[in-house]
Amino acid sequence: MTTRELVVPPRPGNRIRNSLIIAAFVAFTVATCIPAIGGIELDVASIARNWRNGADKMLQLMQPNFEFLPRTWAPMLETLQMALVGAVGAAIVSIPLTLWAARPTNPNSFTRHVVRTIVNINRAVPDLVFATVLVAMVGVGALPGVITLFLFNIGIIVKLVSEAIDSADHGYMEAGRAAGGTQLKINRVTALPQSLPLFANQWLYSLELNVRISAILGIVGAGGIGRLLDERRAFYAYADVSIIILEILVVVILIEILSNLLRRRLV
Amino acid sequence: MEAGTTASTSWPVELRDVSVTYPNGTKALQNVSLRVEPGEMVSIVGLSGSGKSTLIRTINGLVQATSGEVSVGPYAMVGLKGRRLREARGHIGMIFQGFNLAERTDVFHNVLVGRFAHSSAFRTLLGLPSKTDRELALRALDSVGMLEKVWSRANALSGGQKQRVAIARALTQEPSVMLADEPVASLDPPTAHGVMSDLRRINREQGLTVLVNIHLMDLARQYTTRMIGLRDGRLVYDGPAAAATDADFEQIYGRPIQARDKLESQA
Amino acid sequence: MTQTAPAPSQTQAPSPSAPPRPSKLWPTVFAIAAGAVVLVATAGLDIAWSELPELPGQVWHYLVLMFASPDWERLPRALFETWRSISMAWIGAILCVIVSIPLGMLAAKGVGPAWLRTGLRGIFAVLRAVPEVIVALVLLTVTGLTPFTGALALGIAGIGTQGKWVYETIESVQEGASEAVRAAGGSTAAVTRWALWPAAAPSLLSFALYRFEINIRTSAVLGLVGAGGIGSMLSNYTNYRQWDTVGMLLIVVVVATMIIDAISGRIRRRIMEGAKVRDLARSL
Repeated sequence: MTTRELVVPPRPGNRIRNSLIIAAFVAFTVATCIPAIGGIELDVASIARNWRNGADKMLQLMQPNFEFLPRTWAPMLETLQMALVGAVGAAIVSIPLTLWAARPTNPNSFTRHVVRTIVNINRAVPDLVFATVLVAMVGVGALPGVITLFLFNIGIIVKLVSEAIDSADHGYMEAGRAAGGTQLKINRVTALPQSLPLFANQWLYSLELNVRISAILGIVGAGGIGRLLDERRAFYAYADVSIIILEILVVVILIEILSNLLRRRLV
Repeated sequence: MEAGTTASTSWPVELRDVSVTYPNGTKALQNVSLRVEPGEMVSIVGLSGSGKSTLIRTINGLVQATSGEVSVGPYAMVGLKGRRLREARGHIGMIFQGFNLAERTDVFHNVLVGRFAHSSAFRTLLGLPSKTDRELALRALDSVGMLEKVWSRANALSGGQKQRVAIARALTQEPSVMLADEPVASLDPPTAHGVMSDLRRINREQGLTVLVNIHLMDLARQYTTRMIGLRDGRLVYDGPAAAATDADFEQIYGRPIQARDKLESQA
Repeated sequence: MTQTAPAPSQTQAPSPSAPPRPSKLWPTVFAIAAGAVVLVATAGLDIAWSELPELPGQVWHYLVLMFASPDWERLPRALFETWRSISMAWIGAILCVIVSIPLGMLAAKGVGPAWLRTGLRGIFAVLRAVPEVIVALVLLTVTGLTPFTGALALGIAGIGTQGKWVYETIESVQEGASEAVRAAGGSTAAVTRWALWPAAAPSLLSFALYRFEINIRTSAVLGLVGAGGIGSMLSNYTNYRQWDTVGMLLIVVVVATMIIDAISGRIRRRIMEGAKVRDLARSL
């Protein structure tokens, strides 16, 4: 019995294309490592040289100073207050903005695109950049922090919820239109209750993020526990820094648990 | 019909040489002319894609006719915009194949959607229905036997119950014309008969003009008095429904009759 | 036909008796309690509320200073620093992805042993809660205040979230394909290489790019605390109160971020659509 020669079809796949993709990837990565054009210097030697420093710091961080805890209560409370107020403010303002930014709830493409563009610009500004500029504008304190969180949350909520509304099914809106309703009435009576779970989900998510962000806002002077953190670090009081980080961890996880409980009830 | 005095007068519907071409070039309707007298119960029969849905939507302006004239009672629907269009729609009830209820809203507020054209924006936005609106909604629910479920969420109802609520929503408008777009296509046979008899009862008791899209020949024969056949966007039959022969249906469908053209064979 | 039920305005029939509306006591109590908490939190904040009406005017004043005529003189420098931030973000993303893909796979159900899974997931959870800035503050004692520190901080801080995405993705593709390889007598390593990896690769690649997009924003933040890049430049000129330069820098940040988002978003869509097409071709 002779073995028949197998005719193998040519292997598909675009070798040229694949190698181009890999080449582009390598080129981009190399370009990011050239300090002369702004790339970063991969100073691995410094790790070998100074790892002991880091290990020392980690060791100090492993010994939190629990006696410092009482001094953290007030700033931590301020952090939580800022997170909550920013999130609630954004939640209220996000409702009309989101309905403006979604196609089914705003058939007017001009106003829809205006809102979307503003939100996209807002989203392109990192949170702490807002805080830095706002601190310079209105002075150190909780106010720039709250405004930062508010703007940051608006960006997230409006984008995510309006996209979710865009992709959902909207038969009920046709019924409202057939009954002679204005867009405003249709939105209020049907679209809003219908998308409330989407909103609630993002509201809670933005509250979680706020606790995390407001913990560091103080570093640029925008109030909360971050200010204390930065101050203790400047004094090289690593045992105090450690207890603050630990506290932030605990609070962030607690808020996450709380928000998951609420989410299960609301959504 | 002298005893069945109606709250609102029943209106005629007239289409003169109506054509609809969609932006993608599809010719959904071509030169359709017909007149429906007040109080008639008319079925519009045809395969899917024959232009039934388009026809019924040109009547309340959800689809605008590309050419020709559409009149409903005192309103000329083609080119109608804004407030006048909503006012006209307020007199035309409509029910849909997919019920088009806001699933997360309770039955009461879904039915109140029918009052959109008749209530002030202020009341609608604050969610405060007037006494008349409330009364109308409850009576409409009572008349379709759904008063029990007034506080249930729409997503807790069965398909037949949802369509009954949708009928109540249309009745709450105190309409002069009732449109139904494949109202039983998503229902099982016994429920389908229930919904069709509801429509017939409304037609008989209130003398309301009813136009119903349907693709099932037995339901058309049994429940309606006049039948209009559409094929490829053209009117190919117009005559008494009960007298329509199988040959007439084969002409409308453009193919021999199959089992799926009848409800009874689907149980 | 004397009874015309649905024509209420002319019939004298008594109003139909609707069932009583269900009680809304608890939702109301909850809403009032939540409202009270928010009010107390608002009132307790150290903000001079009486000065609040002046705020819009104040902000407008600065907006005019920044954007009426932005100072484009330092644009070359700004672009240089922008590239530095992008580099930080890119290297950080690569580091993060290289570490989190194997760790995340080990943390997926059915790949690694249970004790390892629990341990890794715990580490991910803790890392998720630590802000990047804090990671950077620890790292700078080793590598100093350099962009390299920024990249390392982005790499390490991202592992928490990235690792979670990896194991969730792996678990979601696990079913069918891995059974086939196992049925053919494949080991866990074989299953991972020939069943899990091909199915999960498009999503993981897409997540990797998404990490880059996130890092672009975060790298500016790290710059603010001194890691270099556009954030540092912005922080400096804000401190000098050279508003026209700050305005220019903000425009650069926004434009650069939006361009990168657009490109990266398009590539991600291509990857996911390509995966869909391949799946279709395979199933035909």
